[in-house]
Amino acid sequence: MRRVILAIVGTAAGLVVLLSFKTHSTSAAATPPAAISGTSGTSGTSGTSGQASTPAGSSGGSSSSSSSSSASSSPSSIAGAAKTVTGTAADTIYGPVQVQITVKNGKVTAAQAVQYPQGSPRDQQINSYAIPVLNQEAVSASSASIDAVSEATYTSGGYVTSLQSALDKAAL
Amino acid sequence: MRHNWIMSSTTMAPRHGYLATGAPGPSPAGPPRTQPATVLTVIAAGALAAILLWWHQTPSIHGLGDWLTNAGRLTGLLAGYGVVVLVALMARLPPLERGVGADQLARWHAMGGRYTVCLVVTHALLITWGYAVTAHTGIISQANALLMSYPDVLMATVGALLFVGVGISSARAARRRLRYETWYYLHFYTYLAIALAFSHQFAVGAQFMTSLPARVFWGGLYACVAAAILWYRFVTPARQAARHRMRVISVRREAPGVVSVVIGGRHLQELRAESGQFFRWRFLARGLWWVSSPYSLSAPPEPGRLRITVKALGEHSHALARLRPGTRVLAEGPYGALTSAMRSQRRVLLIAGGVGITPMRALFQTLPARPGDLTLVYRASEPGDVVFRDELERLARARGARLFFVVGRRADLGQDPLSAATLRARIPGLDQHDVYVCGPAGMTSAVIRELRTAGVHRRHIHHESFEF
Repeated sequence: MRRVILAIVGTAAGLVVLLSFKTHSTSAAATPPAAISGTSGTSGTSGTSGQASTPAGSSGGSSSSSSSSSASSSPSSIAGAAKTVTGTAADTIYGPVQVQITVKNGKVTAAQAVQYPQGSPRDQQINSYAIPVLNQEAVSASSASIDAVSEATYTSGGYVTSLQSALDKAAL
Repeated sequence: MRHNWIMSSTTMAPRHGYLATGAPGPSPAGPPRTQPATVLTVIAAGALAAILLWWHQTPSIHGLGDWLTNAGRLTGLLAGYGVVVLVALMARLPPLERGVGADQLARWHAMGGRYTVCLVVTHALLITWGYAVTAHTGIISQANALLMSYPDVLMATVGALLFVGVGISSARAARRRLRYETWYYLHFYTYLAIALAFSHQFAVGAQFMTSLPARVFWGGLYACVAAAILWYRFVTPARQAARHRMRVISVRREAPGVVSVVIGGRHLQELRAESGQFFRWRFLARGLWWVSSPYSLSAPPEPGRLRITVKALGEHSHALARLRPGTRVLAEGPYGALTSAMRSQRRVLLIAGGVGITPMRALFQTLPARPGDLTLVYRASEPGDVVFRDELERLARARGARLFFVVGRRADLGQDPLSAATLRARIPGLDQHDVYVCGPAGMTSAVIRELRTAGVHRRHIHHESFEF
């Protein structure tokens, strides 16, 4: 009997110790955005904002997907302008996830999943909760080092992949 | 105080005897054997690796849902690893069998099995609860969602239920009611449970879904153990059967309910069997072919002949008395760590309880010892239980060894005849002996306790006790 109690207590204690090591706020864990001013186009001082409109609340917006990528190649001379970049769609077994971000002065100011699995009621239920969380985390972290949403493991994986591709295109 | 130790009348005259060369020392480099501590260390290291897998893949967690889910992931990883360890312990790996011993491996397997089944159940509950908290749904609906819409989880749940069932059937209370045959067959359902649960690890396991190296590592682990099982539990016995072609030579009744079976074959010396070891025997006769049972060699292995002695305790052992000469025999082995390799001191005490006399009888003949250095204490409940009396007395005479028969139930004797005080009194210099103990589990652990009290160091006590 003593061994049983020892096993139970030992396992529980071990779990608690391991989990507490990993419990800290997201901002500490996320990699701080590197000095972006040195890279393409946008020079140091942040000017007053230009266009800051982000197409929010799209549903399956095919229009926004066309506005991809050329941002990185051409050094835009408009300092401080916000630009919208859409990453390539990442495939998950439930469907593709595609993330669009708005970048200003080297930080992500808005993030939106323009495509995510909604095929089944289950997908809709999960992602109606998960997507806003992921969007919020992408903005806070300004990088792709965000936590997956526990229950939406696939969507999170696809989100992160697409987000990273968007960040790469925006040269962040 | 009644003395119940009956010294065999013919000993105490030191004569030159068989194998009077008594030089103990480091055991000759025989086939490789692993130390128990090494095995446990390796198992612990593997568990650490599983935990590191989780550590590496988990950035950070916050909130109750995350805590529960990650605790569920950890227990799931450890359970998936534990299953591999449990199967490996039973794979009959020769270094493990020689170095740790089949009885100790079986005990580890039993303890680890109970722990792993608990891990499996805990994992399932924690994951369900954690997911429910994160998605702000009720537990029942979450469980339903997990079962229905997550790939392979339904199969894994069936596997988990099988594990629980096998675990329950192996509990002591259940074992008493079940026939050995039934329990034995039920236990094989664990293989099915493992197969069912395997795929969900990769399909929904957070640590494996997105990491190819992790999948390769984990899959490799499972593949290795599966290969070991195939090789050592199927291929090797088949090869040995073809090579040695063992058959029953004769069956002899030693005492009421006790039979000796002599088995012959070709190239038996290649087996490198030693006194004190046992084989797992499968007799190809009606009613006996379906299980292989362990019986120790009751005499040192001779060229072309192996002898076992069996007490009729159940259906199976009863049927052995009716074996016909010429019956084919499949033998796996040799197994067992209770050999002369364990010995480190000049003087040796052998303690045999009941049916434990069989390996001791073989060791009594071949353990290197000078006259006066070897003692055998044979404990039996009733005079009718004593077997090999003539053989033992002859050997004692020839080797100058001391032989004691201690007969009678403890209730009748009024006290424990193998108490620390009696042992010290009867066996001078007890703490400078190597002691080999073999008998029923209860008697063995009691004797070992008394030996430790009498000053024998744990390192010098070697024992084997089976609970089947």
